[in-house]
Amino acid sequence: MLGPQTHLVTRYLDLLSQSQRVTATNIANADTPGYRTRQLEFGAALRAALDNPAAKSATEQASVRELGTLPVKNDGNDVVLERELQQLSETGIRFSHALLMLKGGLKAVRDAIHEGR
Amino acid sequence: MGLYDTLGVGASGLAAQRARVEALTENIANSETTRTPQGGPYQRRRVVFESAPAAQSFGAVLSRARSRIDGRALEGVRVARLEFETAAPEMRFEPDHPDADKAGYVAYPGFNPIEDMVDLTASVRSYQANLAVIDAVRQMINATIDVTR
Repeated sequence: MLGPQTHLVTRYLDLLSQSQRVTATNIANADTPGYRTRQLEFGAALRAALDNPAAKSATEQASVRELGTLPVKNDGNDVVLERELQQLSETGIRFSHALLMLKGGLKAVRDAIHEGR
Repeated sequence: MGLYDTLGVGASGLAAQRARVEALTENIANSETTRTPQGGPYQRRRVVFESAPAAQSFGAVLSRARSRIDGRALEGVRVARLEFETAAPEMRFEPDHPDADKAGYVAYPGFNPIEDMVDLTASVRSYQANLAVIDAVRQMINATIDVTR
């Protein structure tokens, strides 16, 4: 009833919350010796969902890899707090936009139910 | 959704940074302490962090037990150990001091508390970043609940 778009938005929201989790891990470990910045394979996971919208992949974990491009500090840690904070707010904004889309889809259904009375 | 678990990751960061701030405060307060229960001048403490699974919500534990996937644990942070720095003490000539040795020298801690002040600033910044995580995730959870209204 809600169509494949809603499924995609749901998958997108799920990936965003997983991405937020990775960012939270990076920030929590900003002072951990030897820790390297991690990143979610966001694009690949979203592409998989786009290619096969019917697949039951909505709850699957996307893979996480170490970024490996940032300068490493003396203690073997390469977390850049500013980068993580930017990721944090960017993901938050994307999340609220996606929620708006989801809300729009749900509202259409809800209106149809109410008008039918 | 793992949003509640992400809150746990942020909370682990807050706890770890607070432990670091406590150690740093202790160092600054004791930068002139010449007498300790172990004997000798105060030794600087240093908190070392390590990655560790964050406390998970009941739901996460339950769903993993059910589906047997997701072997990758959430990683928060915790205090791995407390290290005592063994820098050579700074000897000051104060013959009237009760802790003076026979030659009249007193052993003061040999570290620079300014370094701890700098560390303190960095630690507070990390604490704030973890707070920002918790706030962002809280907003995401609230917005998600709002969708059903």
